[in-house]
Amino acid sequence: MKNKFRLIKNIVILAILVFIAYLVYNFFVGDNKQDDWEIEDTPLRIETIKTIAEISTVSYRDEVIVDSVEFYKDINEQMVGNAVKLIDVDQWKYGIKSSNTKRRLTLIVKGEVRYGLNLTGNNYNLKQNKDTIWLTLPKPEILDVIVTPSSTEIFLEHGEWADYERKKLEKKASLQLRKNAEKLNLEKKTEENVCRLFENMIPGDKKIIFNFE
Amino acid sequence: MKPLIIFLSISVLLFLQSCSSEEKAPSIDVYEIRNIGILSTSEYTIGKVVKLDDNKEWYKFGDRKILISCKAKVKAGINLMELKDSSIHVNGSKITIELPPVQITVFEMDPSSVHTEMEDINGFRADFSQSDKNRILRLGEKSVREHLDETGIKKEAEKNAIAFVTDFYKQLGFEEIDVEPSKAELDEK
Repeated sequence: MKNKFRLIKNIVILAILVFIAYLVYNFFVGDNKQDDWEIEDTPLRIETIKTIAEISTVSYRDEVIVDSVEFYKDINEQMVGNAVKLIDVDQWKYGIKSSNTKRRLTLIVKGEVRYGLNLTGNNYNLKQNKDTIWLTLPKPEILDVIVTPSSTEIFLEHGEWADYERKKLEKKASLQLRKNAEKLNLEKKTEENVCRLFENMIPGDKKIIFNFE
Repeated sequence: MKPLIIFLSISVLLFLQSCSSEEKAPSIDVYEIRNIGILSTSEYTIGKVVKLDDNKEWYKFGDRKILISCKAKVKAGINLMELKDSSIHVNGSKITIELPPVQITVFEMDPSSVHTEMEDINGFRADFSQSDKNRILRLGEKSVREHLDETGIKKEAEKNAIAFVTDFYKQLGFEEIDVEPSKAELDEK
């Protein structure tokens, strides 16, 4: 009975010591995850200026998940890997689970794909007679795939990841957004909206015939 | 004997855990399609070096510094959906158009143009994780957005929008074309 009490007492003391050590580590060494960073004010550098004429008429917003995962090759590597994680303060929680995942990076990317016409360099043709206007315009295309850091969330980062690996995932997300938009065949809708827009811009009651080529 | 049983139980539990299925990423299947009518007339590529010195807390052992260079592609123009009947006045061969206010129409940061130029971590500080770098880039993006007006992109976009609209109505046969910037913008100036 006495020994049992001593064992419980020692376990409690050990747990308290480990907890205190963890708090001390976090205070002096660990890096907090709060949004209290301030970047230094550096100037903007204008690299290129282009005159364009792009009319966007359809916006497609979507959210995609991209994931990269690496597993341990065998049970020995898994046991050693998880033991190493247990002594790493930033990784110990993954070690406890003793999972077969060596590392994993998951991003949730919100993006916008814009369809429209590129009329840069007066890339259109307009002819008319007294009662009809013929407007020849280029075919609709994807003008922009808009992704920014503020629309990118690192949902899970387990293990160490290099910049090029994150970039690869971000590119994959942009490509996925583009593919998702292409599946919806939004070119027709873009053409319809372009017609409505020009009808609104052209005064008078002449008949307008649109041609996309 | 008892500690041995406890040790073996924990080992078995950990082994069973290792056989458990992988954590799943959430799946999302939500999208939105909107009708818009935006004319972008000016495109700028803007570079910025994001500089962070993470040594604010005196009690941390060591410093962390990072320099990240990034580029943003920014487009500006007008929202043609805001062009109402009352914005267009026709008088014979003369047309007067009041343009909607110029706005930033596209802001994107291509991941391939983001580079970590320098990282300096000393003492017991942890490396910058990808989550940290994303947070730093968000701050960079915010800073670029806040200083966009200083680049003159809106002025350039307005000039180009006037040129585009003038040319379009000239092709429609109007002889006198008067394109006025948005009244709201003129009041601001």
